[in-house]
Amino acid sequence: MFDHVISELKNLFSAGEISGTEARLRFVTLPQNQAVKAVKYLNEKQGYRHLVLLTAVDYIEQGQFQLTYLLHNPENRTDIGVRVLIDRENATMESAHTLWPTIATYQRELREMFGIQFPGSPGVDDDFILEGWRGLPPYRRDFDTKAFAESFFPQREGRGTNDPAAFMKEKLYPNE
Amino acid sequence: MNKQGVFSLEGDRSKYPQPGADGKPEIDLSSHKYMKMWQGPNHPGITGNMSVELTVCADEVVEAKTHVGYLHRGFEKLMERRKYIQNFPLVCRIAVPEPDYNELNYATAIEKLTGIEVPEKGLWLRTLVAEMARLQGYLMWLGGMAGAVGFGTVGQWSNYLRDLILDRFEELTGARIYHIYILPGGVRNDLPEGFADRMEANLKEIEGFMKDINRVLFNNYVYKKRTVGIGYIDPAWIYPYGIVGPNARAAGSKNDVRKDSPYVKYPELDFGVNTATDSDIYTRSVLRYNELLTDVDLIRQILSKMPKEGDFIAKLPNMMNLTIPAGETYVRSECTRGEYGYYMVSDGSGYPRRVNVRGPSYTHAVALLEKMLVNANIADVAQIMVSLHTYPPEIER
Amino acid sequence: MGTTKDILSPFLVWKQFFRKPVTIKEPLKRQGADRYRGFHINDIQECIGCGTCESICENQAIDLVAVAGIDTKSGDSGLRPKVDYGRCCWCALCVDVCTTGSLKLTNVFTWVDTDPDQFRYIPGVDAKPWDNATKGYKKAASLELYPLERIPMQHLHPEERHDSFIEIIKGFSKEEALREADRCVACGICTATCPAHMGIPEYIKAIREDNVEEGLRIMYETNPLPEICGRICTHKCETVCSVGHRGDPLSIRWLKRYLADQVPASAYASVLKSDSIEKNNRKVAIIGAGPAGLSAAYYLGMMGYQITVFEKLSAAGGMMRFGIPEYRLPYDQIDKDINYILSLGVEIKYGVSVGKDITLEQLEKEYDAVFAATGLHDGRSTRIPGTNHSGVYQSIELLRKITLGEPIEVAEKIVVIGGGNVAMDITRSLARMQRQKYGKVQLIATSLETEDIMPADREEVVEAREEGAIIYPGWGPREIIVENDRIKGLKVVQCLSVFDEQKRFSPKFDESNENFFEADMVVESIGQGANLSYIPASYFEQLEKDHRGRVLVDTLTFQTKLPWLFMGGDIIEGPDVIHGIANGHKAAKGIDQYLNANREEKQ
Ligand code: SF4
Ligand code: SF4
Ligand code: SF4
Repeated sequence: MFDHVISELKNLFSAGEISGTEARLRFVTLPQNQAVKAVKYLNEKQGYRHLVLLTAVDYIEQGQFQLTYLLHNPENRTDIGVRVLIDRENATMESAHTLWPTIATYQRELREMFGIQFPGSPGVDDDFILEGWRGLPPYRRDFDTKAFAESFFPQREGRGTNDPAAFMKEKLYPNE
Repeated sequence: MNKQGVFSLEGDRSKYPQPGADGKPEIDLSSHKYMKMWQGPNHPGITGNMSVELTVCADEVVEAKTHVGYLHRGFEKLMERRKYIQNFPLVCRIAVPEPDYNELNYATAIEKLTGIEVPEKGLWLRTLVAEMARLQGYLMWLGGMAGAVGFGTVGQWSNYLRDLILDRFEELTGARIYHIYILPGGVRNDLPEGFADRMEANLKEIEGFMKDINRVLFNNYVYKKRTVGIGYIDPAWIYPYGIVGPNARAAGSKNDVRKDSPYVKYPELDFGVNTATDSDIYTRSVLRYNELLTDVDLIRQILSKMPKEGDFIAKLPNMMNLTIPAGETYVRSECTRGEYGYYMVSDGSGYPRRVNVRGPSYTHAVALLEKMLVNANIADVAQIMVSLHTYPPEIER
Repeated sequence: MGTTKDILSPFLVWKQFFRKPVTIKEPLKRQGADRYRGFHINDIQECIGCGTCESICENQAIDLVAVAGIDTKSGDSGLRPKVDYGRCCWCALCVDVCTTGSLKLTNVFTWVDTDPDQFRYIPGVDAKPWDNATKGYKKAASLELYPLERIPMQHLHPEERHDSFIEIIKGFSKEEALREADRCVACGICTATCPAHMGIPEYIKAIREDNVEEGLRIMYETNPLPEICGRICTHKCETVCSVGHRGDPLSIRWLKRYLADQVPASAYASVLKSDSIEKNNRKVAIIGAGPAGLSAAYYLGMMGYQITVFEKLSAAGGMMRFGIPEYRLPYDQIDKDINYILSLGVEIKYGVSVGKDITLEQLEKEYDAVFAATGLHDGRSTRIPGTNHSGVYQSIELLRKITLGEPIEVAEKIVVIGGGNVAMDITRSLARMQRQKYGKVQLIATSLETEDIMPADREEVVEAREEGAIIYPGWGPREIIVENDRIKGLKVVQCLSVFDEQKRFSPKFDESNENFFEADMVVESIGQGANLSYIPASYFEQLEKDHRGRVLVDTLTFQTKLPWLFMGGDIIEGPDVIHGIANGHKAAKGIDQYLNANREEKQ
């Protein structure tokens, strides 16, 4: 079902790794400078008209963000996830709002939550969910939600727990 | 863009600002021609905690901006530091009135990546809760819709009817709202004794009330006047604006995940896709009403076709130690608002690398709503919004 | 649109006016559904404080707290879960995962109190009105968040093994080990029960993560004989495993064996970092190369001491080599563990009997400290008439000879007296030899204890039967009948009970119920005693002893009243391998402490 479109993506946009074993879902890695072109091609020429989602995955260990454009073809009911790996430092990606006006919302959220810039995307720098937040973009892996919660919210007194093995050692064989 | 209805009051637009080159009107607040108005976050015509910042000129909206963030809890991020099993109490909270699609999608994503298989009975019970969730979701929406145009009574009825379904949820899952009923490999429990009979009595009650609601709402001069020809969605917007579910089907689309990408036991059920073409508030509300009746039928079918015996949950590996091979998947299901999806990425550890929840409201309540409200009358803002059936928590997760 | 109907139709619903209201009048009294997830209850006697409920709770609503009146003991941490309803979301995952099934939710969900601290309580300990509620959420029988069934261990079938001494247990494959290791809920309850307090959940985790080297390191922290223990340990840990409360306990022993089997002997030194030990010039003598002696040698060796082990026999291992048959513990596996200890520079002097070839006084002079772990090697006799016949043997001697490859008598009909593991070992060894020699087995093992209280491991009894031996539990030996200087058989009477009310050994018999087991050869296997004759009387007098004359040592350091003399192993505690290992480890630490303190004094 995917043979044709994937070979086209390889020929036209130098698609890299292909993964996915489900009958109707494939993920394709594309170079950053080809991705929006490829997404446009899938949308306009291959029937992948429905933008399911655009989101990011933080691979902090590799210093990269993965952007995933998930596209759905309403005719043959297949999905293609276009993966793009971009640099985590000064992360910037081309905007795709001319293809789907609604993608501006996703790009605005990614700017806010991951700190990925989409120059030219309408309203991309407006606060979206985190009005007034000026700290580290919180969906990055290096943002520690637990540390944040512990410092931001008062902790209730009177809690304390024991590890069973350590407690048993203390009670039964403290000096061994 | 509003469709002309017989009773629609079309004012003189010549004094309103004309759109500039970018399609947006020039708005100069210091001209005193405009006023900012906040619809929400506390407003009876708002479906939950969100608000719309309206710029109005006289009683006409010239610009609308959706504001969310009132109940952001960072679920997607929180999930990354919890084991897969520990996320079930979290995911159900992403769409409060319909937790089950979250549980279903999340569990299915785990199953796809691990290869855990759900036994037959488990799939039937999942289908049942999916339809029960839809039924009570529509009932809740119906109350909101009627309320937005001032029919509080219908809101009372539909809340009572929804409560009946919540009673069934309570006896099936142990909770009324956050069911946490679906787990990887199946569901947590079988039907209690006599469940089908009690459900049947509830369905009869609902059907009885639906006749009345049909009379009082859909065959009502006032309701029609407030909804016909208002809140028009152009079919051409469906893909650019990511419109799904009843909002798209009332504009002629036939998209329904239950049919298009079948899951659980839908292929074994007999039902049609409800569609319409007029694409205004009235059409969307009648379409949802029809879907509600379809649900009643579907629940009957499920309860009669479901095998009495059989395992409802698979033999699981240790959920406390579960690691998922590196990979990614996307799982979708049809909730009351349309396609509901979970994109899950695993890096091979015991914790998800990333979970992204795609709720229909993300597109409906932001880009689409902002577009639809332009040129609307202030008095119609609430109905337009409710007619899109949006849940803010799934926007900001 | 806009028809008269549209104006009139809404009025049709006025009939609703006559319906009965559906309002719930007293919501606080409303009953939750039978499965409702309300407040917790916990059966405090069943709960073992394993903390699994705490670890699954994503809200951190559970603390494990000590409770007055509940003692910490083997298999029960003495802790109990305390729930904070400021955090609990009533998901009941804690109920689903509870290892004992003690934790449940009631269907009570209304509770009003002005003091927020009231909403933190210990279910089952702090009394609540719903303590006796029977309704509420319980885990469905078929829902298990972890597998209850063990991964079966592959072993040789009786006909594949009954005439040879090849190892019966095949060991886990990687796939099997990973699946078995997956079942562990990592609670750590087992660690206290293991005499060596091994880091069981930690090394099981290493298996899950397929990091066998890390696993080996963890094991060697507390046990330098993992190949051996992984085969023949009495696995007391498994008797308390949390998962065992509702399912099969983890196969902790086989997992340990799996880990040790995975790492080749050649990799040990680098994995265990023994290639960089700093040596010191202090010398310790160890008497006996059994589990306790070897364990002490290992840990002292790792600390840099110069170790000399004096071993009476021609090979090291003690009971592990000379008591346990090869089909349970192959010699090459013993050698793998021992050779690694030798590689640390430990020296073993074989064939040297302390007391004969060298005296304890000499050791005292030449070494800084002495650790005596000589074990129990003298078989005890029933002393019934006929036992002095030359056809009556001690099991322990026969087993030793089998290991040494010396010929032993294998008669056509044999009776073994005894119901412990050693009795089963000789029974099964002789059965094999009978089959090799005669092509059939005619062997009866009889014990005082009835089958339910036989001290031997259950699988030993089952497998002995599979191999052709007949087991007659519950008979007391009375006389070995000898005619014309030939053994005819063993006369027994029924044993009614073995212990009295105070659990003391005091067997009662029904003399009228006699039985006779025909035999040409009788083997006694009712226990072994120590031989401490190598300790000169002048020293022995100075040692502290209990009322039965057993030497007492410091329970932490295994030091005797003679400061330079440490004693451990079966002569002090046990008898079993794992106690020996634990004793050796503690003695090593004790010796180190003693010598360090000594040196500081001298300086
Ligand atoms: S899991 Fe069960 S047995 Fe373990 S501490 Fe919790 S309540 Fe007690
Ligand atoms: S019910 Fe859920 S939230 Fe409450 S203590 Fe149990 S695991 Fe924690
Ligand atoms: S082996 Fe059993 S007792 Fe030990 S940590 Fe694992 S589950 Fe707990």
